[in-house]
Amino acid sequence: MSDLLELQDIHLNYKTESTAVEVIRGVSLKINSNESVAIVGKSGSGKTSLIMLIAGLECPNSGKIIFEGEDISQYSEDRLADIRKRKIGIVFQSFYLIPNYTALENVSLVLEINKVADAKKKSMELLEQLGLKDRINHFPSQLSGGEQQRVAIARSIVLNPKLILADEPSGNLDSENSKLIMSLLFKYCKQNGSSLVLVTHDQMLAKECDRIIEIKDGKIF
Amino acid sequence: MEKFFNFQDFKYSIRDLTRSYKKISTIIFTLFISLFVLSIIISLEYSLKKELNSNAKILLGGDLEINTRNEKVNDEYLNQLKKLGDVSSTVEFSTMLADSKKQNAKTFFIRLKAVDDKYPLYGNVESFPKDALNLLQKTTNSIVVNKKIFETLNLKINDTVYIKQSPFKVVGYVETVPDLGRALLFGDFAVVSTNSFLKLNINTLGSFINYEYRLKAYNESLNIKDQVINLTKKYPSYSVRFPENSSNNLKKLIDNFSQFLSLVSISAMLIAGIGISNTLISFINQKNISIAIMKSLGFTSGTIKKIFYFEIFTVLFAISIIAYLLAVLSVPVVNIFLSKTLGIAVHSEFVLKNFLKVFLSGFLVVVIFCLPTISAIQQIKPSSLFRNVFQSCDFYFNKKNISLIILSIVGLILLFALDSQKPLYTVGYFFIFFLICFTLYSLSRIIIFYLRKIKFINFLPLRLAVKNITNPKTIFPITVLSLGLGVTLLLSLTLVGYNFKKEVEKSIPEIAPDYFFVSIQDTEKDKFVKYLKNNDPNTLIDMMPIVSASVTKINKKDPLTYIKSTNDSYWVLERDRRISWSDVPPKDNPITEGKWFDNNSKEMQISLDAKVAKDLDIKLNDTLSLKIYGRDVEGKVVNFRKVDYRDLSINFVILINPKFAVNIPHEYIATAKFSSAINFKEGTFLQNFKNISAIKVSNYLGKITEIVNKIFIAVTVISSVAVIIGLMVISSAVIVQARLGIYQNLIFKILGINTNNLISASVIEFLITFFSIVFIALLFSVGVSYFVIESIFRLSWSLEIVNSALVLLLIGILTVVLILFNNYRFLSPKVYPLVRNE
Repeated sequence: MSDLLELQDIHLNYKTESTAVEVIRGVSLKINSNESVAIVGKSGSGKTSLIMLIAGLECPNSGKIIFEGEDISQYSEDRLADIRKRKIGIVFQSFYLIPNYTALENVSLVLEINKVADAKKKSMELLEQLGLKDRINHFPSQLSGGEQQRVAIARSIVLNPKLILADEPSGNLDSENSKLIMSLLFKYCKQNGSSLVLVTHDQMLAKECDRIIEIKDGKIF
Repeated sequence: MEKFFNFQDFKYSIRDLTRSYKKISTIIFTLFISLFVLSIIISLEYSLKKELNSNAKILLGGDLEINTRNEKVNDEYLNQLKKLGDVSSTVEFSTMLADSKKQNAKTFFIRLKAVDDKYPLYGNVESFPKDALNLLQKTTNSIVVNKKIFETLNLKINDTVYIKQSPFKVVGYVETVPDLGRALLFGDFAVVSTNSFLKLNINTLGSFINYEYRLKAYNESLNIKDQVINLTKKYPSYSVRFPENSSNNLKKLIDNFSQFLSLVSISAMLIAGIGISNTLISFINQKNISIAIMKSLGFTSGTIKKIFYFEIFTVLFAISIIAYLLAVLSVPVVNIFLSKTLGIAVHSEFVLKNFLKVFLSGFLVVVIFCLPTISAIQQIKPSSLFRNVFQSCDFYFNKKNISLIILSIVGLILLFALDSQKPLYTVGYFFIFFLICFTLYSLSRIIIFYLRKIKFINFLPLRLAVKNITNPKTIFPITVLSLGLGVTLLLSLTLVGYNFKKEVEKSIPEIAPDYFFVSIQDTEKDKFVKYLKNNDPNTLIDMMPIVSASVTKINKKDPLTYIKSTNDSYWVLERDRRISWSDVPPKDNPITEGKWFDNNSKEMQISLDAKVAKDLDIKLNDTLSLKIYGRDVEGKVVNFRKVDYRDLSINFVILINPKFAVNIPHEYIATAKFSSAINFKEGTFLQNFKNISAIKVSNYLGKITEIVNKIFIAVTVISSVAVIIGLMVISSAVIVQARLGIYQNLIFKILGINTNNLISASVIEFLITFFSIVFIALLFSVGVSYFVIESIFRLSWSLEIVNSALVLLLIGILTVVLILFNNYRFLSPKVYPLVRNE
């Protein structure tokens, strides 16, 4: 397995009016291709900050983020957006589908912006595989939580990204839906050869990943 | 580099628009109203001017017109003209028309037009019966009156009316004549044949008589212009007019009026712009999550902004087309009123240039107000999707934005200024508008600064209100700006409307005379005075000599070569003026500069209306050449007077020194104020003085009232549009604020703060906003309305405190109702959907 992503001595501070809080303190880690990694830790430990750094949604104050051999830590917002567009899929705890887009449109959007041919057709096929054939023209408000999260997963995997970031993807779901969602996620990551970074509180779920990283007070143990 | 136009992005914008148009209904509605009003004004102005230009020869009555003032044309000159084309001669003069010779005769002061059988050379006279003009030539002593006289005097065909005691048989009435002069445009008139006119044996000195000759070339390809100019050189007292100058006064009237209305409509559009930015920021805040999701999927801020720009410009483009097309279709409706008032029939036409002006105005306004709003997309962080905390975004300014906004403002000013006859007025107007914006914005910042210094407030609603105003994401400045501009515009229009209404309802001033008398000859002067005194011993008579004169040179230079027809005082140069002389300065014409006449000097000295002197750039000791009875006389300007033509007494632009004027043949003009005007019988007066015309001041005022009333209606209509837009803008500002406070209200609700406290806080917040803008709005609206009334419409301005206070109170109450209405649904939010971020 080759290196997909490497974080080298990453520091991240949030500044308020009077103080600066260091949320990530010298984190270094590697994530390989096709590898699934669980990040666990208590609330406020820095899990979300770490995943935001990996997604290119925050820039570190110091340290390097190497993605596919390129240091992206000082990339502009637009270049990071371009990497996200082509190579990273994200699944959120609260699903976050675009409210006035149908399930199909939410998924095909990713293909369209990457100028993939037959975006609608490919998205439709994927949604059918995820058991949403009857729901493709429904808006998010017309879908259940589990259905919404399945659409969100379809959106994250439809382009076969190198990396999928999932932030408590089953956190808002009942146990049955939770199992279904996670099995889908693992299945498609394996099938497509995508790496998975999973942020979770659930130790059982974490154990299903290839590796578990524990974070505490902004440091990895 | 990203492509400027990407069809995929455009597709997203259309998709979003079709699904979210209800959320931007305020933008759609305010844009539509303001663009529609602007389109109507632009289309109407264009159609009117096109009509005037394409009918220039008809309006002039010929290929050219030779005005010989108060003398008949030289026979040799006339024969030369007849070699070039058909010549039609007309004589116009002012006189009285009576329906009988009885003492209680009803009279009209009219402009009588005597025409020959060639009249009109161009165009048609609309009359009843259709051949009324032919009958006029065939029947001796016959007359055609205008429709208003026909109806007012309840005349029938073949009835008899009297002019200078001579009977004339009414053979029809006329609706319009093609050659509209200024006198015929708004006044009453009648037409007789030249032969009938000659029988009247007019023997006055002719101060109010005018001979005109119109020529229609036998061959259109002949360049008669140069030939007539050469021919006329031998007759310096004759003046030649060409079609391009045929309707200067009408064009000027249209220019002034359309400029005022355009500026009011662009105000409405700029205020709508504030509403647009309020609604758009609210729209973006509602789409906060969608934007964050798009960013997380790899959309750049630039692409998302582009999608929003596509949306707003698609809306603008569609609305511009609809608004413009509707306006073009509305022109025929407006024409129903115009053709009656101006005698011009306008036609609707789609003109690309006009559409582009409407679209460009909307485009620039949208750019000015949307740049800081759409740029706010930059502030939305996709990382908030991980934390489920969404900050509302605020207007975003950076150097690039500010430069683009300034460029757009300059573009907007140029767009209106370059197309206007008075570009300085337009620039001044925009300057005032942006000054008001700046003042209101600064005021809001000062208030925030001082409120932040208050540390302890015990009263909970007040504390909440102050907190809302002073929090870092406050929209207090934008609320102050939109409410302030709305109130300023409403107050300004109220004051303009009130002053118009006052002018319409104005009773005749106490000191105003009851009658004007014109064409009093020197020989009947004493008899005239005696007659009036016999009729009423307490009659106050004011009499002044008059003579016709024209200004031919200013400092030895022909003023028509360098003074434009758009100059406010061009009328002084355009035709003959009646001048007078006096031993002492007229009591209501105070000298503003210089000294009264030197009685020892035999040279001509001139006293001039100060406003005219300023407009024509005439200084003390400058020389003016006046043509009096065909002779050029040069005189020195020795003083300026403040002349107020609205006091209805005898006023002259030019007065000369009596010592010079004493030997000039002249006639008199007089005013009379009776102790009881009822005792004065016009019919009896006409029996005794058939050459003197009596003009009843109340009738004269009625004419003015009629015109002012029409302007008042137009101002009221435009004001109503501005009022609707203003209220929508205020409402949208309130909704934005209420929507932003929804999450906060939820927290307050959870913490146990009751709805009454929240309502009280909203009202207190509004009161702080409202009272802070009242003084500034009042100050600017007084200034703006004063300028509009005094400088543009030349009426007298006065402040109406009761109405202004009433308007403020009404706006206050209405806005509080709007706040409570809009806040109501946001004050008690449902907890579940909010905590679940639905």
